[in-house]
Amino acid sequence: MTETRPLFIPVVLGTVRQGRMSEHVARFVFGELTKRAGVESELVDIRELNVSTSDEGGGAKDERFTETVARADALVLVVPEYNHGYPGLLKHALDTNLKEYIHKAVGVCGVSAGSFGGTRVIENLLPVLRELGLVTIFWDGNFSSVQKAFDAEGKLTDAAYVRRLEKFLKELVWMAKVLRHGRENVTLEGV
Amino acid sequence: MTEREKMVCPACGVEMNLHAEKVDYADAAAEGEGFDPDLGGLVEEFHTCPRCGRTLARRAA
Repeated sequence: MTETRPLFIPVVLGTVRQGRMSEHVARFVFGELTKRAGVESELVDIRELNVSTSDEGGGAKDERFTETVARADALVLVVPEYNHGYPGLLKHALDTNLKEYIHKAVGVCGVSAGSFGGTRVIENLLPVLRELGLVTIFWDGNFSSVQKAFDAEGKLTDAAYVRRLEKFLKELVWMAKVLRHGRENVTLEGV
Repeated sequence: MTEREKMVCPACGVEMNLHAEKVDYADAAAEGEGFDPDLGGLVEEFHTCPRCGRTLARRAA
């Protein structure tokens, strides 16, 4: 398969809370992703989205976010675990789009202060992503004890995350390439 | 699947590839074109341009 267009894989920072440690994770993931040849990215902060909380679906759309998702080949979601669940505002923002997600890859980086690295929030999020039409990869990013994984300036203090994230990103890029090929060339007709 | 005209990419002018169908249950009350009583909602088709990657949707016939 010859790729002439770079893959576009935005990183979505999925919390609006003050003092969010997930921002360090999102910036780290964004930095590692943009080191890869043939990949372009953009950091999407849901705090910056103009998404109405008194409407739903298309009525609450942030047009720029919708355009970003429409252009994307894959998404990385950086998601903190709040009481075992995902942030409600992330779900609300994701629900403003639908058509834009179909047959695109998604990987999730879970973030937690405890030792499980957001595994529970990832498990809770998977059925949502499936219903949106996204295709989940089998590697996750698990950032446990996140308050120790980065210093106050957001610099990574545990180098092991670089190798772990590399595996995650390789799988995501592979899936993004395969799904792009599928969207553009593999027809549903006659199947 | 009913045979229909291929969608053409408005930017590139090439035939787009039909790669997905999805039921939209949110619009199930609107029993117009594309409403499938067996599936309980409106069925949408998703077509992607093999040249530029743009995806467009339309209601299934």
